[in-house]
Amino acid sequence: MKAQVTGFLKNIVNIKGTNKGLLIQLNDMASYTEILDELKKKVSDPALEGDAEVQIQLAKRHYSDGQLEEIKKVIHDHSKMKVISTKCDVVTVEECNRMISERQSETYVGIVRSGQVVKAKGDLVVIGDVNQNGRIEAGGNVYVLGRLKGFAHAGASGNKEAVIAASWLEATHLKIADELETMTDELDSLSEQPEMECAYLHTSGKIIIDRLQELRFLRPQISTFKGGS
Amino acid sequence: MGEAIVITSGKGGVGKTTSTANLGTALALQGKKVCLIDTDIGLRNLDVILGLENRIIYDLIDVLEGRCKIHQALVKDKRFEDKLFLLPAAQTADKNDVNPEQMKELIEGMKVDYDFIIIDCPAGIEQGYKNAVAGADRAIVITTPEISAVRDADRIIGLLELEENLEAPKLIINRIRPHLMEAGDALDVNEITTHLSVDLLGIVPDDERVISSSNKGEPVVMDPSNPAALGYRNIARRLLGESVPLMTMDKPKPGMFGKLKSIFSSK
Ligand SMILES: Nc1ncnc2c1ncn2[C@@H]1O[C@H](COP(=O)(O)OP(=O)(O)OP(=O)(O)O)[C@@H](O)[C@H]1O
Ligand SMILES: [Mg+2]
Repeated sequence: MKAQVTGFLKNIVNIKGTNKGLLIQLNDMASYTEILDELKKKVSDPALEGDAEVQIQLAKRHYSDGQLEEIKKVIHDHSKMKVISTKCDVVTVEECNRMISERQSETYVGIVRSGQVVKAKGDLVVIGDVNQNGRIEAGGNVYVLGRLKGFAHAGASGNKEAVIAASWLEATHLKIADELETMTDELDSLSEQPEMECAYLHTSGKIIIDRLQELRFLRPQISTFKGGS
Repeated sequence: MGEAIVITSGKGGVGKTTSTANLGTALALQGKKVCLIDTDIGLRNLDVILGLENRIIYDLIDVLEGRCKIHQALVKDKRFEDKLFLLPAAQTADKNDVNPEQMKELIEGMKVDYDFIIIDCPAGIEQGYKNAVAGADRAIVITTPEISAVRDADRIIGLLELEENLEAPKLIINRIRPHLMEAGDALDVNEITTHLSVDLLGIVPDDERVISSSNKGEPVVMDPSNPAALGYRNIARRLLGESVPLMTMDKPKPGMFGKLKSIFSSK
């Protein structure tokens, strides 16, 4: 492990193969222009021929959205590789505060009736039904201990990982981040007994409904308990 | 000190006025002193159903604006000695001519003289609704077994639950047609009550005689053999604190009303 890290530090840009495609590691001690130059050189290497999917590891350095775009552009312009994700080990204070408030949970006990709106910054737990034309909205996840028959919006501040879970999921509208799904008859037919279900945003950009049991595989990060006992 | 009950629905035409007239009459038949207030200003018709139309001299607005005393505006229903009175709505005024504070004060003053004050609310959730609800101690929500009516009932219940002075609203499901429920073509009683999560005060079957008796100015509840009348009589008894079993509509059979009638009239 140690040898690998020192080895990584020697290079400004490191490319390695993994079982999930290529991994590009950027040295967080190098200057940004150095990184861009080196990156261009490395990805242009004809030996890398192929349309591999790559992940970029940014390590402990914060890049602006503009810089990230620039990095992706260099890769896309000089190779056939496709960037599928970036991973950074630091967050800004702003992001951090948002993450904290999105992790907090608020509870509403009662029926959310037609014309009523219940909002939470973080997760929202509703103990009761959400009736048609009633609306619940959360920055984080939405959990309904009851029948969800109205409009539910999770990840309202943009979190695409947010989910909507309900004892009985027969919402007229589901929204996660900016993606809206109206429950057409087609979707309804997916489950005659919409008991204990959850909705999440699939990487395809579509909202998918699955059994609640699948949640721990789909969104393991929701669980705040680590390990077993 | 009596109590004031507002009859509301959200959706129009589901039977608020019919229920006000029939419940008021049923309570008067039980010996209670009752005043009905029509707050559907500009569209009054409680007076017609009660057959009191041509006895109106003054109305609610006249009272609120000080043009007459309350007792001058009240129309007495002569069929019930001194038990049933009507405070008619103004036909020529506008609902914005009344405000909730005035209604509260008026009803508060009347509660001393009556056992029940029943307020007929106009449809909708605007000014007229606010006026009707202002002086009430409790609310009855009327719906029919139709999705649109149930949706509006849900909306109204949400608003009523925000009123601090009101007890939790109770539900009446009106115009029930057992054969439609049986065939699954209408929402059933359980479905509606579970959906709205409120207490069910009673159910009233759909019956042609409701319409014909309204036209005669004689509320159907006066005919003890009529099924809708029985529904209203049961509700009135529940309002008086009696526990009367609900007509079960789960498995309607031909002649069910006949059987129920024998159960209830044996008391
Ligand atoms: N149980 C019943 N069976 C048959 N007809 C009924 C029943 N209840 C009400 N109706 C009829 O439905 C119509 C509407 O009733 P009503 O005027 O009481 O409704 P409303 O809620 O007061 O209407 P609005 O919102 O216009 O004030 C009337 O013609 C009435 O006779
Ligand atoms: Mg009416």
